[in-house]
Amino acid sequence: MAEPMELLCWGGDWDLPSVHTDSLIVLAYAKFSGAKLAVKSIDWTWRTITASVPQLHYEASTVTEPTQILNFLRKQRFNADYELTAKQGADTMAYIALLEEKLRPALLHTFWVDADNYANLTRPWFTSHSPFPLNFFVPGRQASLALSRILLTKAESPLLNITEVEGKIYSEAKECLNLLSHRLGNFHFFFGDTPTSLDAFVFGHIAPLIKAPLPSGQLQKHLNQLDNLCQFCNTILKNYFNASAEKRTDCSPTAIHDPVDANLQKLTQLVNKESNLIEKMDDNLRSSPQHRPNSTPPS
Amino acid sequence: FILKAEAAIMVRAAEPWPEKATLYQPLKEDQILLSDSASSLAVQTFLRMCGLPVQVSCCANAEYMSPSGKVPFIHVGNQVVSELGPIVQFIKAKGHSLSDGLDDVQRAEMKAYMELVNNMLLTAELYIQWCDDYTATEISRPRYSSPYSWPLNHILAYQKQWEVRRKMNAIGWSGKNLEQVYEDVSQCCQALSQRLGTQPYFFNKQPTELDALVFGHLFTILTTQLTNDELAEKVKSYTNLLSFCHRIEQTYFKEHDRESQSGSSRHSKGSLP
Repeated sequence: MAEPMELLCWGGDWDLPSVHTDSLIVLAYAKFSGAKLAVKSIDWTWRTITASVPQLHYEASTVTEPTQILNFLRKQRFNADYELTAKQGADTMAYIALLEEKLRPALLHTFWVDADNYANLTRPWFTSHSPFPLNFFVPGRQASLALSRILLTKAESPLLNITEVEGKIYSEAKECLNLLSHRLGNFHFFFGDTPTSLDAFVFGHIAPLIKAPLPSGQLQKHLNQLDNLCQFCNTILKNYFNASAEKRTDCSPTAIHDPVDANLQKLTQLVNKESNLIEKMDDNLRSSPQHRPNSTPPS
Repeated sequence: FILKAEAAIMVRAAEPWPEKATLYQPLKEDQILLSDSASSLAVQTFLRMCGLPVQVSCCANAEYMSPSGKVPFIHVGNQVVSELGPIVQFIKAKGHSLSDGLDDVQRAEMKAYMELVNNMLLTAELYIQWCDDYTATEISRPRYSSPYSWPLNHILAYQKQWEVRRKMNAIGWSGKNLEQVYEDVSQCCQALSQRLGTQPYFFNKQPTELDALVFGHLFTILTTQLTNDELAEKVKSYTNLLSFCHRIEQTYFKEHDRESQSGSSRHSKGSLP
């Protein structure tokens, strides 16, 4: 590979490498398949309104949409699905369709349409991560796109009213989460011990739901009751995104104390070494005669 | 007596399936389009698999009579239910179910595959009908508006086309071209074919609503004449899917085959080649 592949995506928060579902899917898959990506966040750039995220640049070509990007990575021989059987590959397609149809509308609603969440969490976050004057437009545009998608796909045409659809999409989403939980069972990943593209898709959808501090999150409460899915998410974060989790010690109150302690220990050791050095040098200076050069090397 | 008591406990007090249950769909000869025909056939197949008799009634305004705006819908007793998902649940409340024998993981798989068919096959059918200019002009608009006179036929046809294109835009399919859509259909059929393998039905011995749905779509694709045969060719390349369709046609539609297929319509090519 002459130059690394470059990925444009939304930035991270709440313990996650990115807050955007599609970006998370691509990031997770890249980690699973061992692809090295130069991740560029579009926060605070004009790309927040011009680019369709996530976007992969390699040599002269540009690829958008998670499915297309994953296909592209597979063609570049970064394949996390190598060991799947044909039937498992078919199952992957089916479960991804399930996620898109049943879970995505409710996720869009939770983050972009629900008044509480939108006003207190989503809009402030996206506003603070967009440059002036785009911060006035970006959240509103995303919200209206989300609303129109929900209405066009789920609302029955004579009743184009969001409140009637809400009950339906949330109950479908809860059912979808239950189905995923049943399918995952006690395993670490959906197909055995190594993660695949299905794991990336599921992770991308449920991670923001688990980690975001939502003021009103009935779906989040439901998800928190499904222990194996929460465990699944945390396992992936711990094993594949550990480095980025360590850096964010300020905004994650649940940061593990071990890295902090380890850093403190290292610092203490360095200080001790320095003070030992200084003492030794001091001794040498005092004990050496004046016209003999002090060439004792520090230990 | 015990049976009666159990039945009474069930939701809606389980009125028995009436003799005069009716299924409504658009006019078969002139009006119905590929996607509606597929959905309608899926429901009919499901009802036959459950052993519930239903009369098919074709009305020009079936879409407007439906509570959700989508066809087909069934009129049972004094209730009206539309679309396969709610109909399956309604029939389950009446005590008939095809998927009772499945465990949780299998049920999850079944639901996932049904969504795959809805997400890919149905969306592809809608795209080909309404977003491909040639098909829309030659087939979809004329057929959709055939029961109405000018200028209503133009208005309704364009309105429907606009609605479908808006939906395609919202889910990101408007950027696709026809080749990519055919490719998606092919991948979906490949997934179904791999899942089916050599089994008679998707969950081995017993048919479920998934079999009904897949049959509805594949049979309609194979027997409907569009501007070109490419869609049907994509399906035909998977032999186990073809034999699956044959098998269900033989098992559940055999006795009606000769009655309903008489008088071939311009749209449908009749039974499978």
